[in-house]
Amino acid sequence: MRETVRRALQARPELTAELYRRGMFRREEKAEFPEQNKVASLRLGPVQFATLLAQADAQFAARAVLRGVLNHEELRWLDRLLGLAKRSDKREELARAVERAMEGRKGNVRSRR
Amino acid sequence: MSAVADEAVQAGQNVLVNSVVKNLGGLAVRSWKKRWITTFTAPTGVGKTTAIDYLDRTLTFDHRVIQCKSITTRYELLERMALNPGEKRKKHGRNWERASDLYKRIVKSVSERPFLLIIDEADRLRPDCFEMLRDCWDDARLPLLLVGNEVLTEKINRQHERLFRRIRVRREQRPLCEADLRKVLEFMGYEMADEEFALLWKLVGGSPGFAEALLENANEIAASHGVKRGIEALEGAVRYFPTFQK
Repeated sequence: MRETVRRALQARPELTAELYRRGMFRREEKAEFPEQNKVASLRLGPVQFATLLAQADAQFAARAVLRGVLNHEELRWLDRLLGLAKRSDKREELARAVERAMEGRKGNVRSRR
Repeated sequence: MSAVADEAVQAGQNVLVNSVVKNLGGLAVRSWKKRWITTFTAPTGVGKTTAIDYLDRTLTFDHRVIQCKSITTRYELLERMALNPGEKRKKHGRNWERASDLYKRIVKSVSERPFLLIIDEADRLRPDCFEMLRDCWDDARLPLLLVGNEVLTEKINRQHERLFRRIRVRREQRPLCEADLRKVLEFMGYEMADEEFALLWKLVGGSPGFAEALLENANEIAASHGVKRGIEALEGAVRYFPTFQK
């Protein structure tokens, strides 16, 4: 199973379904998706969506940001919620990815590895 | 000045001048007048960044505000301090500017025309940035106001003894009290029943930032069910914040 799909299935089901609905996953990733994870019972609002992403695996959330499935309002909320959350290196990287996306810049985050 | 006037809503500024704004403003003025290094620490979500935004618009003396979000290295901090808005650092050709050139520019400009440097989320700065700021104070008496959460105090105490000894005032802001939290939330336009506010207070304490996030989630949950926000929606929103459930 692909890394992205594995991480997606570990996230909350409503978040996974919302990301699936928004077309975050590629064709080969979609093929590995179980049917029950494709459909959401309720559509999420921008704050709910950003909150779930802020609580999710930071690496997975960063991938969602980099794949451009969030609009500006969602990015703004995600940025605020990350400011409130407990800090970690991965969350810092995610915060930088969000800032870059808000500025309209694409590509990955420059950092020391 | 009366208490009512103290907490007056600043027309057009859209900020409630509460204790956080007043304390931070007072400290900024003191730092500037005495050319001190000062720190202001408060728990996350109390309203430090909002207060800094407000001060940035209203302080009457020269000042610069740096948000540490996109600052990750000493070089970025140097560039932000040395270069004028819109100016770019020369990195190529014969006139390329080294970090030391930028530093000299900062010392020169501060000596000629001092300004107060306010750094928001200073707890995110890397160790070499703190040392560079201390150098700026040593060489040019650059007044500094470092703002952050509890991590800032801990970082400076543990890792930056020389900077620690130069800090003249360390202000710790307590979270807002119950009445103040309610006032801020009402100012932000949230109307709540008493039981909703009681739950919020129990969960978030004096943090309007967390309270706003919870209330917005609750609003969306209620809207998706086609009802007005109530205690059920608020309890539903708590599910999205695992730290509150513990």
